[in-house]
Amino acid sequence: MSRTDKELYALIADGDKGTLEEIYDKYEKLLYSFAIKLSGDATLAEEVLQEVFIKIWTHKAVYQEKKGKFSSWIVTVTRYTCIDLIRKRKDENVSLEEETDIPEEQDPSTEDLAEWREQGQLIRQAIRNLAEEQTIMVDLFYFKGLTQREIAEECNLPLGTVKGRIRLALKHLNSELSNIQEKGGVHDV
Amino acid sequence: MYKECEKVIDYFNGHLTEQEAQAFEAHLETCEDCQEELRELRELTEHLPLASEPVEPPAEMKQNVLDAAFTAGETTDEEPEANEDKSSSSVDRYKEKQAEKRKLDKPAWLMPVLAAGLIFSLMGNMYAVFQTTQSDEDEAPPVESTDEVLQRVQLQGEGTNANATAAMINQGTEDMLVVQAGSLDPLQGDEVYQVWLINDDQPYRAGSFKSNQQGEGAVAYSMAQLQSEGDWDAIAISKEPNANSETPQGEVMMSSEL
Repeated sequence: MSRTDKELYALIADGDKGTLEEIYDKYEKLLYSFAIKLSGDATLAEEVLQEVFIKIWTHKAVYQEKKGKFSSWIVTVTRYTCIDLIRKRKDENVSLEEETDIPEEQDPSTEDLAEWREQGQLIRQAIRNLAEEQTIMVDLFYFKGLTQREIAEECNLPLGTVKGRIRLALKHLNSELSNIQEKGGVHDV
Repeated sequence: MYKECEKVIDYFNGHLTEQEAQAFEAHLETCEDCQEELRELRELTEHLPLASEPVEPPAEMKQNVLDAAFTAGETTDEEPEANEDKSSSSVDRYKEKQAEKRKLDKPAWLMPVLAAGLIFSLMGNMYAVFQTTQSDEDEAPPVESTDEVLQRVQLQGEGTNANATAAMINQGTEDMLVVQAGSLDPLQGDEVYQVWLINDDQPYRAGSFKSNQQGEGAVAYSMAQLQSEGDWDAIAISKEPNANSETPQGEVMMSSEL
């Protein structure tokens, strides 16, 4: 790429509309898909993107290098925004099962998504391989973004043990993921 | 009210008020446990967005989103020039460009690699420069004689103590990439640390190494082995399940722009 995200971001901060568009093009599909994953709601996902790009353009969300990579940052802003909007709606009682009614998937022939799909499958498989309570923990914590107290209530756990459970679930998820990658070898030539 | 260390989860999920978040960040400066926990949470969740099924956004969404952003920009701050024509024509321009890109820039064999670039950028907090060999065990980096250092960078990673330097060294007719790392996490099984040189979002293998008991590792890589030459954007080190990854499978531990 000729210009890094960091350079692009600097131009956005200077009010360069074309650059915002460039960033938009680059992240549109990922952020949109992610917001749908989080909310299970395509209409809400569109609002999330709108909100995210308003925040970026009006400097309500400010990227700094010390916050890590730009891509991680914009994903995090999207996650917060989505969690926030869902809370404001408060209408849906998003449960684990609802993940299945994701809107129709895009044309699978688009090959540049192959890697993303593969990785996504591995990650979803890894999540499925977890013990049920750990799957729920990952979902409530990361994808639903509940507060510690809410997770404690939802799972009937003392507040103080929630952190440890989350950590354990995520660690298992990651070792599960390494296992699958080693065995599945989708990428191992 | 619970004590600061109990706020990591709510901080991570963005549930603290601005004031609470500030207080927590102040605490974070001095609390290594919290730093570590936060780092771990970030690391362990970094790839989770990829669990989303790719969904094609509605065609009109781009226009709506950008219009909303630009309109908000006009009402909130200066930036008086609203230029409808420009924005619609540039949308077309971008669409064309995108279509072109799809057709021209991406031969079929390249596509997974390009997508890996996206994934790569999501998984990693750090990017870096050069290349190394597949020589396994720790190797003393060749930093002697009259070799000339062409470029030297410090690789960094978020939330890790590991550190590394990479140097491109000219040895007579040959260029060598030398990477030295310390404070590395221990590896398990076949895991290796893999060095990548990145050009246009595409990672090239540039040597791998294992860490010793002291968490140190190094590798020297002859640039002549690389299938691509030229303008490296970044160098990165990732932890890979084995020494055969053609694209980064594991987390990027450290990186630097070149």
